[in-house]
Amino acid sequence: MDGEGEDGSKVIHVKFVTKLYPPFKAPVSSVVIPSNVTRLGLSSIVNSLLTLEKPEAFDFLIDGELIRMSLEQFLLAKGISAERTLEIEYIRAVAPRKEEKPSLHDDWVSAVDGSSPRFILTGCYDGLGRIWSSPGSCTHILEGHTGAISSVAFVNSQGGESVTVATASKDRTLRLFKVDTAESGDSTTRVRAYKILRGHKASVQSVVAEKHGNMVCSSSWDCTINLWNTDESESELSGEAVTTFIGHTQCVSSVVWPEEDVIYSCSWDHSVRRWDVPTGKDTLNLYCGKALNTVDVGGEGSALVAGGGSDPVLRVWDPRKPGTSAPVFQFSSHSSWISACKWHESSWFHLLSASYDGKIMLWDLRTAWPLSVIDTHKDKVLCADWWKGDSVVSGGADSNLRISSGISIS
Amino acid sequence: MTKKKSEAANEDQTRDTKKKSVSAVKSSQKEKPVLAKQVKSSKEEEDLLLDSATDSDYDGDSLSGSLNSDDFDSDVFDSEDDASQKETEGGDKDSSEDELELHGNEDSDDDDEGEQVDSENDEEDGSDEEREVAEESDSSEDEVAPRNTVGDVPLEWYKDEKHIGYDITGKKITKKEKQDKLDSFLANMDDSKNWRKIYDEYNDEEVELTKEESKLIRRMLKGEAPHADFDPYAPYVDWFKWDDAIHPLSSAPEPKRRFIPSKWEAKKVVKYVRAIRKGLIKFDKPEEEPNVYLLWGDDSASDQKSKHLTYIPPPKLKLPGHEESYNPSLEYIPTEEEKAAYELMYEEDRPKFIPKRFTSLRSIPAYENALKESFDRCLDLYLCPRVRKKRINIDPESLKPKLPSRKDLRPYPNSCYLEYKGHTGAVTSVSPDCSGQWIASGSADGSVRIWEVETGRCLKVWQFKEAVKCVAWNPLPDFPILAVAIGQDLVILNTELGTDEEQQKIEELLRLGTLPEQDEAVAAIVSWLPDETYGGIKIKHFKNISYVDWHPRGDYLSAVMSAGETRGVVIHQLSMHKTQRLPIKMRGLPVCTLFHPTHRGMFIIATKKNVRVFNLQKRELAIKKLETGLREISSMAIHPGGDNLIVGSKEGKMCWFDMDLSSKPYKTLKNHPKDITNVAFHRSYPLFASCSEDSTAYVFHGKVYSDLNENPLIVPLEILRGHSTSSNRGVLDCKFHPRQPWLFTAGADSVIKLYCH
Repeated sequence: MDGEGEDGSKVIHVKFVTKLYPPFKAPVSSVVIPSNVTRLGLSSIVNSLLTLEKPEAFDFLIDGELIRMSLEQFLLAKGISAERTLEIEYIRAVAPRKEEKPSLHDDWVSAVDGSSPRFILTGCYDGLGRIWSSPGSCTHILEGHTGAISSVAFVNSQGGESVTVATASKDRTLRLFKVDTAESGDSTTRVRAYKILRGHKASVQSVVAEKHGNMVCSSSWDCTINLWNTDESESELSGEAVTTFIGHTQCVSSVVWPEEDVIYSCSWDHSVRRWDVPTGKDTLNLYCGKALNTVDVGGEGSALVAGGGSDPVLRVWDPRKPGTSAPVFQFSSHSSWISACKWHESSWFHLLSASYDGKIMLWDLRTAWPLSVIDTHKDKVLCADWWKGDSVVSGGADSNLRISSGISIS
Repeated sequence: MTKKKSEAANEDQTRDTKKKSVSAVKSSQKEKPVLAKQVKSSKEEEDLLLDSATDSDYDGDSLSGSLNSDDFDSDVFDSEDDASQKETEGGDKDSSEDELELHGNEDSDDDDEGEQVDSENDEEDGSDEEREVAEESDSSEDEVAPRNTVGDVPLEWYKDEKHIGYDITGKKITKKEKQDKLDSFLANMDDSKNWRKIYDEYNDEEVELTKEESKLIRRMLKGEAPHADFDPYAPYVDWFKWDDAIHPLSSAPEPKRRFIPSKWEAKKVVKYVRAIRKGLIKFDKPEEEPNVYLLWGDDSASDQKSKHLTYIPPPKLKLPGHEESYNPSLEYIPTEEEKAAYELMYEEDRPKFIPKRFTSLRSIPAYENALKESFDRCLDLYLCPRVRKKRINIDPESLKPKLPSRKDLRPYPNSCYLEYKGHTGAVTSVSPDCSGQWIASGSADGSVRIWEVETGRCLKVWQFKEAVKCVAWNPLPDFPILAVAIGQDLVILNTELGTDEEQQKIEELLRLGTLPEQDEAVAAIVSWLPDETYGGIKIKHFKNISYVDWHPRGDYLSAVMSAGETRGVVIHQLSMHKTQRLPIKMRGLPVCTLFHPTHRGMFIIATKKNVRVFNLQKRELAIKKLETGLREISSMAIHPGGDNLIVGSKEGKMCWFDMDLSSKPYKTLKNHPKDITNVAFHRSYPLFASCSEDSTAYVFHGKVYSDLNENPLIVPLEILRGHSTSSNRGVLDCKFHPRQPWLFTAGADSVIKLYCH
């Protein structure tokens, strides 16, 4: 089967398959292609097969691995025989196709949450939280903090009329806001907190809400993780911590609450811990060796832990693997500290990372190279999140919230 | 000759006992010979008398018994061939007389001759041989007369001939067939008597020794007398009669010449002496030098080495190979490309000899480099070192101390990921707060800034009119205040980073109420004032402050005024708003001070040359004086354990003192080419660092063991570069992060860098 082409180069018989729906479904038939084509060549071949109006970029998988070199090299490296008909699966390339208008803030954008498809929630170093309904249009300003906001989270974004959000600040408090989404118009509404959560002795670094929105969890420089109730019923303005998890020895830089009774946290004491919410004990302690800034849980069975910190390496651990705390994946294309990492909410393979080198990188576990690099920020990227499943929102030291959309993740 | 021999044979007959016995045997066979013999014996006695005077060679022993029995025949033969013999023996004059007489005698014996003509020839030969041997030795009784007549000539003259000589009749004696070795060996094995056989090459025959003869030989080998019956120890018979001879034979007096030294001898001696002096007579002959030597040998081990004090063996020459032939085979000839490649090489790298082909030896030109090489040789000789340098061949790597690998000493700061930018002048001082969340910095542009470590965000700025010299964060975690040295002022700043309660306490503390009474001496140099601009306290000094250090408890604060000389160090107590002068007498210009981290009253002052340790509570003289040996101390840091101290100097050297061990430096590290501006210890990791005007910072592993017997382990880890030099200044300060193995460096390029692990 492996013959010589007209120009002397080797040719391979391939069959393109896909899980995409028409118009991206190519006819299933064997095609002869030269072996030295790269992703770009394969993409143009598929485009010619599809006869689309607008060319579309594709990524190609052989046996579940993304092709990141010429086909010939790939087959050689993986030891796949070129003599049989290869089945190449193609997916739409994971890369932003559109760069939305940046939303300018008054100061560094330190936190962003894109978990609600309707809004983007940002926190800023000027102490204000902002809610954006679309790029460039700020609908609400959340005021009250005396220090820079370090983290924001939607507590309850499902509610139709009003949305609850939580902000954490370096003024050692957390604030809960209720935002009435019905109000619309060009003017921005200023909202004050309905509840102030005091109890941390140092800057609050991170806040995360429970799935149902009944509780929020915060971590702080005072090495503690606090759980708070969010209900409004209490007459007082300020609330106190329900539970405190003590165990970290240094600043707890980030927390995630993926399931009802599990909280993951990472700290500058070089560890990632898993806390059992009902008992308040840590059930897992992954030692990393570097101070960690960010952690997220997702991927396969939402069990993989991704974390980044004081070095340019994004690490992914599998806590189900017994007896080892070595990361299963390490992505090291960044050149400075990693400030944020987020798993894609629906895909098992995709995650993004933001770094102080001003880049946001999209990763696929199936390849060691970044799928794409978003290089729009002029300064450090401090926060980043997925939005609506096909966009990346990010904020940085250039005081801009940037949205890169059109990322197709099947 | 023949006559003589026969005659000698005759004589022998009479003398030899052996002969008698043999003849007796013979006589049993024949009567006549016995008779003849008897006649002869009587005759021979006369001969003996006649011959004794002239010819002493009567031995005749060589004649064996069998031959002797036929003696008379020889006489007959003689008579027959007399004339011819005479002609041949014309030259033989010594015995001419004897011959004549013998002839006479022999004539009378003629009657016997007819009987044994058959054995004549043999007889004659034997007698001839006997005669000649007889001339050599007296004892050769048993020898057979030689049959070869060539005489005593070297046998090799006949080497190439088929014969070995001539017999008595003039016939050639042909050589026997040479027995080959195998045969002779076999013969040897077969014949048990073979060992007694001797090959007589003169006569070309084998002679078998008799038992007697072999005994004789054995005796001679033993060194005994050949004859068994010779008694060497026979009693001495003194034939001379001494008894009545009382007078000498001559009564002439002893002549005088017997008593005086000989005149002629003396003359001869003088002559020799003169000749010796003139050198005409030489005693020791000059040693003959061997005129051969090992051309390609290794003379490094030769005796030349011992002769010369500094013998340098010449470099070994390469043995000539085929390529040096005038017509080497083609594979030795470099191709044109190779030749072109040689041209491109450096001259040293170029091969010394490039093989060339010549059709004949004639066409070889003169050696082109001859002149150059002889010049080079002369140059070598001229430039040759007069003294041989003793070189020790040691691998420099082996001299390095065995240090643990850097990998094992992780974590340590090695790469810069974060920069804190905002100052407009050189950053002179940095100080992280005790939690590690914030860092304060002071700059030459007069600003003090607080940065967030994590993001590099500048949180607060205080602007002053003068350059900031030093900032120091209070070591207490719940007391976030800053001490800043600006010119003559020491300003205590409230960072407002604490919680509300902490903030209250700080504000209370910083409010100057009624100040306590100060000593006059203190009041002259220090005054406490409120700081209007930023709401802190301003402590005004009489000289510029260069260094500020907090006590670990956070209440006391020392300030150093370099120009203040003996009053250069003061200690402020913040809670009491009070200032104390040092209770100790100071010597030298103070550079920096340290409070001991564990021992409360201990206070360490570095002056320009020395470091002194005081106990403030006891008001004594220095407890300890550390001799740094440095020219000018610039900075100092103490290990959190409190026993080890590092001192940086303006000459780029850093000293590590183990204060328990000695007052001398445990290690002096010379790393920086320029001034060390600051040194720092990490609070928890075994790390220390130095930064310098050369825009670098060095990070070291400095492990202090709790076991007192073990010396601290110091390993250089990393050189941190990245700062740029600005107006000839490099890195001005370095501090470790209090909890992470990270290092902050403050550069004159107005940037603070954070190096992470």
